[in-house]
Amino acid sequence: MMLSESTRMRSAAEARFRVQARNSTPHAVKVIALDADGAAVVRRLAGAAWAHATFFTAVPGVRLQADPLDGPADQPPPRLRRSAEASATAEAGSHVDASSETVLSDLAGRLRNLAEEIETADLIVLVAGPGGHAQHATFIGQACSRQRVMTTGFIVGAASASESSLSKTLAQVRPWSLMTVIANSDDYIDDMMTALRA
Amino acid sequence: MLRQEQSDLLTQTGPGTPMGRMFRSYWIPALLTEELPGNDCPPVRVKLLSERLLAFRDTDGRYGLIDEFCAHRGVSLWFGRNEACGLRCAYHGWKYDVTGQCIEIPSEPEASRFTKRIKLQSYPLVERGGVLWTYMGPPEAQPPQAEWEFITVPPAQTFTSKRLQESNWLQAMEGGIDSSHVSFLHRGDLDSDPLFKGAKGNQYNLNDSRPVFEVVESPGGLYIGARRNAEAGRYYWRITQWVMPSFTMIAPRGNHSVHGHFWIPIDDEHCWSWSYDYHPIRDLTPAEVAAMREGKGIHVRYVPGTYRSLANSDNDYLIDRVAQKAGRTFSGVEGIAMQDASLQESMGPIVDRTKENLVSTDNGIIMARHRLLRAVKALVDHGVVPPGVDPLHQKVRSAAVVLPPDVPFTEGAREDLIARPAVAPASV
Repeated sequence: MMLSESTRMRSAAEARFRVQARNSTPHAVKVIALDADGAAVVRRLAGAAWAHATFFTAVPGVRLQADPLDGPADQPPPRLRRSAEASATAEAGSHVDASSETVLSDLAGRLRNLAEEIETADLIVLVAGPGGHAQHATFIGQACSRQRVMTTGFIVGAASASESSLSKTLAQVRPWSLMTVIANSDDYIDDMMTALRA
Repeated sequence: MLRQEQSDLLTQTGPGTPMGRMFRSYWIPALLTEELPGNDCPPVRVKLLSERLLAFRDTDGRYGLIDEFCAHRGVSLWFGRNEACGLRCAYHGWKYDVTGQCIEIPSEPEASRFTKRIKLQSYPLVERGGVLWTYMGPPEAQPPQAEWEFITVPPAQTFTSKRLQESNWLQAMEGGIDSSHVSFLHRGDLDSDPLFKGAKGNQYNLNDSRPVFEVVESPGGLYIGARRNAEAGRYYWRITQWVMPSFTMIAPRGNHSVHGHFWIPIDDEHCWSWSYDYHPIRDLTPAEVAAMREGKGIHVRYVPGTYRSLANSDNDYLIDRVAQKAGRTFSGVEGIAMQDASLQESMGPIVDRTKENLVSTDNGIIMARHRLLRAVKALVDHGVVPPGVDPLHQKVRSAAVVLPPDVPFTEGAREDLIARPAVAPASV
């Protein structure tokens, strides 16, 4: 009997003729800790070898001001200096957006421009713990929404969290996450990053 | 993306494989009760977890699931005679009971010790809820019997079917927890299928075609929530249950029956897709049962005399390009079950997961793999009983609820996610 095309094509024999060329280019995944629990996970995660992932923390309470004395005005973007409430660990760097209420700090403590980091991202992963201060999710989420960048919210340490603390974090993260993950074990994020080719 | 060795670990379920050992920790559906309709009826060939077996029902109504082949010369006992509390090989008359014990060798003297030395591999086979269940693991680790709600309600409240799927079990199961495909592949069925239409919740689906997903670990597996906007800033949640290794329950719609699946490996390139529909507090109506038998909802129409779908790869799934062009179906294939199966079978017998490009909405799939890999490792390395074996993990329900925006659905729907006798399902 003559096999139908669908029957022939689903066979293991035909699977051998699938095109072997690469079918994607690397995706840039940027992982941002929103609070202290998130920062601990992000630091651990950054210790592994990732080809296409970069790691940040959202810096709490930082407002940045343009320094008019720092470089000629016709060389954008201007260098910036941090205001007094900036974290002592964060080192001021270039390309930081003075208009933003939230900036990012890489794991070496250098401040990074939120909008620029999002512009070059394919996926933003927001990491927060229950009951933390995840209010930066709003600014980051708005920026992602403007740039049409996918967001994933990852709640760490949920297994032992109270309902009220989980609710608090969800209220902050949910509106800005197109996918929210609540895992009992923080090592899930490693598998997720691998699965996403980070 | 999954490394090849991880994919191999999850997709290979034959004897001696880690995932095979995991499946052998559970009671799994083996046959429909209707397949062995009476005492001394013809035996049925059964292949499960890459083992060829034979199911039969003896003169006293006892069920047996034994090695298909006679211990004497390797003849298939499917040709045997089911008579006088045993299955007799058609070749030389060796006879076996439901435990696989040889009870008669005509060529040997009566009461010969040799007979006692012959015993075929066998597994327990028990009837629950219209399904014959087997446990293929070590007898000393046999768990309590299955307690899924669809098999514990009265018979008039439940309907189960099974369908041959010509692909590995994992890609079929992953389709069942891939909620984001519903808005595409199955669009149109909400309005037209008699087992779905008319529910208020359908309007939420139709008004908001871009759901937001939330994946949460449960004791037995995962809750997969799909969130859409409802009135007054509240969220409409559809919460699917996945219980390890391969059980799903899809969120209900209105007062329709609740449904879901099991995917059970036949071998590494085929599986049984089991589909159940039940209502926790009322009988299914004759119209509902007729629709299920006609292949509506998640069921299929069969090639007569088989459990293979009438639409199958041999007839290109009866694809209708006119219906596809007109938007009556998204893929051109009719019916939810074969819309899924046609695409899953097109991936090949075992999809190459090293080439896939998962996205964030695939977190349900990613976390299911994560949990399966973790459970397999714990079982093999430390003998830890995997999630889903405990009957408490099986007493679950899916739910459709409207909740305030800041409420974790695991809290807002806590009671609704548990099977409670005589309590209506949470549905919108």
